[in-house]
Amino acid sequence: MTETSRRLAQCFALVFPGLSEPEVYSASVNSVASWDSTAAIMLANVIEEEFKVQIDYELLPEMVSFELILDYLTSKANGSS
Amino acid sequence: MQLSEALKVIKEGPFAGRPPLRVLVACGFHPLHLQTFLHAHLQGRVLRRVVPSVGLYGDLLGTLRQLPTRDLDLCAVAIEWPDLDPRLGFRQLGWDGRQLGDVVKTVESALGALREILARAPEYTPLALSLPTLPLPPLLPAPSQRASETELCLRRSVDEFALWSAGRPGIRVVHPEYLARVSPPAERFDFKSELLAGLPYTLAHADALASVMADLLVPPAAKKGLITDLDDTLWKGLAGEVGAQGLCWDLAGHAQVHGLYQQLLRGLAEQGVLIGIASKNDAGVVEEVFQREDILLPRQSVFPVEVHWGPKSGSVTSILKAWNIGAESVVFVDDSAMELAEVKASHPDVECVLFPASDYAGAQALLYRLRDLFAKESVSEEDRLRLESLRAGDAFRRDAAAAGDSFESFMRDAQGELTLDCASAGANPRSLDLVNKTNQFNLNGTRFTTEEWHTALRCPGAFAMTAAYRDKYGPLGVIAVVKGRTRNGEVTVDTWVMSCRAFGRRIEHQCLRSLFDQFGAEEIRLNFMPTLRNQYLKDFLAGFQRAELSGPLRVSRAAFEEKCPPLYHRVEISHD
Repeated sequence: MTETSRRLAQCFALVFPGLSEPEVYSASVNSVASWDSTAAIMLANVIEEEFKVQIDYELLPEMVSFELILDYLTSKANGSS
Repeated sequence: MQLSEALKVIKEGPFAGRPPLRVLVACGFHPLHLQTFLHAHLQGRVLRRVVPSVGLYGDLLGTLRQLPTRDLDLCAVAIEWPDLDPRLGFRQLGWDGRQLGDVVKTVESALGALREILARAPEYTPLALSLPTLPLPPLLPAPSQRASETELCLRRSVDEFALWSAGRPGIRVVHPEYLARVSPPAERFDFKSELLAGLPYTLAHADALASVMADLLVPPAAKKGLITDLDDTLWKGLAGEVGAQGLCWDLAGHAQVHGLYQQLLRGLAEQGVLIGIASKNDAGVVEEVFQREDILLPRQSVFPVEVHWGPKSGSVTSILKAWNIGAESVVFVDDSAMELAEVKASHPDVECVLFPASDYAGAQALLYRLRDLFAKESVSEEDRLRLESLRAGDAFRRDAAAAGDSFESFMRDAQGELTLDCASAGANPRSLDLVNKTNQFNLNGTRFTTEEWHTALRCPGAFAMTAAYRDKYGPLGVIAVVKGRTRNGEVTVDTWVMSCRAFGRRIEHQCLRSLFDQFGAEEIRLNFMPTLRNQYLKDFLAGFQRAELSGPLRVSRAAFEEKCPPLYHRVEISHD
């Protein structure tokens, strides 16, 4: 587990407090009932705060799972987007 | 507060044992972040689970129309320009400079509708109102630097609405200048977030506004007493070295900050704040200074005055004893960091504040800080009487102690008069104020929001009674509140508080006897619960029963009369 993955999991736990740790790492729009458009914005803002990045809101519809968001953050950290 | 911190605070709940606090967040934009931050700020203040609710997105008026029918404890209303006319927002296309006259009329009409709605809002539900905090769109033809007639018309309408709102019971208007200090106008609007998600506030602005609204809805407990140093604090100079006439507190002596401080303390004293003095000084010279005609803080506004060469922590101990209030309600001001540390070491709950005599910005901040620490919504008759009643209490206790064996004749000669008000006790704001700040004589420590208090009083069989007291030493004002209910001849007391200033006068006995008499009861149930600080009341009630007192109890008239000492008060009762 990478440091980015651990910090992202903390963000998920704050926005979706009902998820267990394993559920966080496999979370997606399909598996988390409370993951609606409002929760997506909240999640994006918490991630922005935690990682000091600006998330492009237009990409939000594509960021539909823990894994995809982790990929997005990793690519941001590596300088590509 | 960061968004993640807010979510953590919210997650820390729920808090067991107390009903949740129901809060409506009313705004025309997406409430997401304002709601989250308000939830967190309120929950951090009340230590109760907060249940926020919101209305339909974009329908501020519709949400507010539901106010009279919703069970709420608090309400936060954030109005922005598009709520008054959608043409004043960025999410609706169709700006047209030719429509400006119509925009002004529409805004006036929307504010008129808001007045009608808020006039019908329950006045016991505290409502925090924020008026437009975001910029107008570049719809007006005038350049940004110029305040055009149209814009000033719009702002005047909003100001008139704010003025009307501030005069309504229960409505607390967010102060725009204060908000500007904690949330600079240029950093409030998130254009991208508004266009993409309907969230117009930056996170920082949502947090700042939520914090201010939480302060208005659940104001921090006001401090009750201020203890001040003298040399280089209340005045410039050392009294013992330059003498009474050598001290100054004016512009000519480059000592205006001390004059402003004196002036502030005088104002605080007039609104019932206790002002005491703790100074290492020559008592004779200090008295001379207070004889000067230009002193701004009159000697009679100060009690007690502890002037000697002993440690200031000892002076603070004496003053706290004379005031009989908790250290957490007191502020100590001194120009010496060492003296502040010495007092803090002995009295950790006292708020110790440095008087920054040579730092003008610091002195200015201090004046505002002190005003805010002692801020109150209104000044009651009891506030005005507080110092007089403290002096009276001091004289009463001195004479009572001196009376020794002749204590009964002292009590008889005190000419105590008790006025029991059963007619308007519930509606008297002093009642709830006393209930929410009294600790030592408090039946169970239960605190109430305004709405909870009035709801309880609307229950069938509910009653409330206040007691005001005076004797030959002076008036104490309203010093006790009893709230309870009668059902099938059974009398239950749920709330009973009495100010510590009234201790030692057998007023508690007289209140209980009055309840027996008024209701013709042979027994009264008292919903007592021990708290960390209600030992005085526990000791009083323990006298009426043999078993260890750990919860609700019943006191029979026979047991009461058997233990009740002679009561000499003249009692007047007003009924419905």
